Amino acid sequence: MSVFSQSVAERIIHSEGMFLDQRRWEDWLSLYAEDAVYWVPAWKDENEPTSDPDRELSLIYYAGRAGLADRVWRLNSGLSVASTPLRRTTHMTSGILVEASDGEAKAFAAFTVHCFDPKRRTAHTFFGRYDYQFGLRDGDWKITRKVTILANDQIPSVADFYLL
Amino acid sequence: MNSKAPFQALTRAELSGLVDDRASEGVFRINRRVFTDERIFDLEMKHLFESGWVFLGLTSQLPNRHDFFAARIGRVPVLVTRGADDELHAFVNSCPHKGARVCQLQKGNTRVHVCPYHSWSFDSSGRNMAIKDRSGGHYAAAFDRDSHDLPTVARLGNYRGFLFASLSPDVPEIEDYLGEAARLLDIIVDQSPQGIELVPGTVTFTFDANWKLQLENCSDQYHFTSVHPSYLTLLDRRAEEQWSEATRNVFDPNSDRDAGEALGGSYTFRNGHVLNWRRAGAPDALPLFEKNDELTERVGAAKRDWMLRSRNLTIFPNVQFADNASSQLRIIQPISVNRTEMRTFCIAPIGESAEARRVRIRQYEDFFNPSGLATPDDAVVYEACQEGFGAERMPWLQGYSRGLGSEYGKSNIHAEEIGMTPTHSALGDPTLGDETIFHAYYRTWLERLSNALPEAVSS
Repeated sequence: MSVFSQSVAERIIHSEGMFLDQRRWEDWLSLYAEDAVYWVPAWKDENEPTSDPDRELSLIYYAGRAGLADRVWRLNSGLSVASTPLRRTTHMTSGILVEASDGEAKAFAAFTVHCFDPKRRTAHTFFGRYDYQFGLRDGDWKITRKVTILANDQIPSVADFYLL
Repeated sequence: MNSKAPFQALTRAELSGLVDDRASEGVFRINRRVFTDERIFDLEMKHLFESGWVFLGLTSQLPNRHDFFAARIGRVPVLVTRGADDELHAFVNSCPHKGARVCQLQKGNTRVHVCPYHSWSFDSSGRNMAIKDRSGGHYAAAFDRDSHDLPTVARLGNYRGFLFASLSPDVPEIEDYLGEAARLLDIIVDQSPQGIELVPGTVTFTFDANWKLQLENCSDQYHFTSVHPSYLTLLDRRAEEQWSEATRNVFDPNSDRDAGEALGGSYTFRNGHVLNWRRAGAPDALPLFEKNDELTERVGAAKRDWMLRSRNLTIFPNVQFADNASSQLRIIQPISVNRTEMRTFCIAPIGESAEARRVRIRQYEDFFNPSGLATPDDAVVYEACQEGFGAERMPWLQGYSRGLGSEYGKSNIHAEEIGMTPTHSALGDPTLGDETIFHAYYRTWLERLSNALPEAVSS
């Protein structure tokens, strides 16, 4: 398990999509290292996403899994009308390319997430690219950094971690 | 009862029948048709957005000659530039030849704007530079007598770096239009001696509801604890866990939320501008707090206190400044009667410390983003309203009543602190949720739309 490979990357990335689609939130969180960076940049203009989260705006930025746990709590709290009911999702991830060298384990992938809002009977598709970094934690590969470049950033009312 | 047929023009009587303004009797009601009638939307575009002052952006978005950014005035695409003359310009971004949008980008820097259709070219002030193959085109003399420039807006107003434009020349000076609400723009821009800027990164979202829901919600203190309990409870959780990366802000539950006497209230001004405010529970959580001493020295204690209060300001009809959990500039862009686009920016004092800027950005993403923990709940509620507006059999909305039972007077001590004279005020604890603030919107709305309508339509 400690050798990083295409199949390790694919297993984690496809599991992430499935856990989100199946609302297995704790399983999803467990894919991330405790100090993982989860980052969805905004766009500066037509061509450039923001590149410095401390000086430029992001759609979502957390340095630490606790930020993601907050959001899971919010979905389950029953206190957010934007999350009641939850949208149904299907994560499609493909074109996974792995880059592994000394101490570095990266993967790049394309995604589409199909979202259906059962309340308003409307559907929307978010799409873009994922850049992952992985690290070994107690012998298991965990996500240490995930950057989601959202290509269609005109957001219809709601975007959330489970829709991306 | 077929008064909604789209081919039949609204009359002034019909329109004024949708605003039941008897405030002196304790009654103010709005007919939900103001949010659903396409004829009203058309009137709003023509007579509010395309005939009066609207906000475009900040002059700090155009630091250099030939810089530009795209904006909209109602349905009209415009380009805002700094020309070769170092002056600011705004002109219609539509080629006089075939009407195509000339500049295709949201922002940038160029000396020449070339229409993508037939290559007519314009300088950075909108003046026509060349018409392709003009001499071979056998134009008649009448063509040469016409202007081929991109038409400039009728009026461009720059109030301390806040840039407004009007397509109609028949408007007061911008300072007069802003009136006493300008004191509240001062509170924003004076936070730094160098003024304010937009943090790089634009966030755009839409909601399937009428634009006036956004107009109202920014001024609606009453919704805060009902729509955002997940956010408020999360703040409590973070405070308990003392998670080091947690984003603390003015709503910090460990702060003295209820101390002091005046906890908040609202002001309204001429021309539909409004402010609602509340005392910040934890002003030390504000990025601005690092400048506390400098501010006291430079602007005085009264103005400093106003900078540290939570403020939601609307300059009617299309711009809102929310300075509470973080600092946001929102531009409301109506698309249709039941669809709206929001262009949103983090606005910040120029020259704040790197740590203050970092915290401001984190607080912003937390609360204000459509991918954050609060704004999506607002947007979804607007859509719930728009769906509910289908219930025309119960036309009158009761959401304009809170505060009508009290006598507040025009001004109060908190306005006087900064020499501001509103037309109406309200004051109370956060449970007041004043709704008389909305009356200013609808009085301005009705006056301006009524003036544009005939008394009656003859068949």
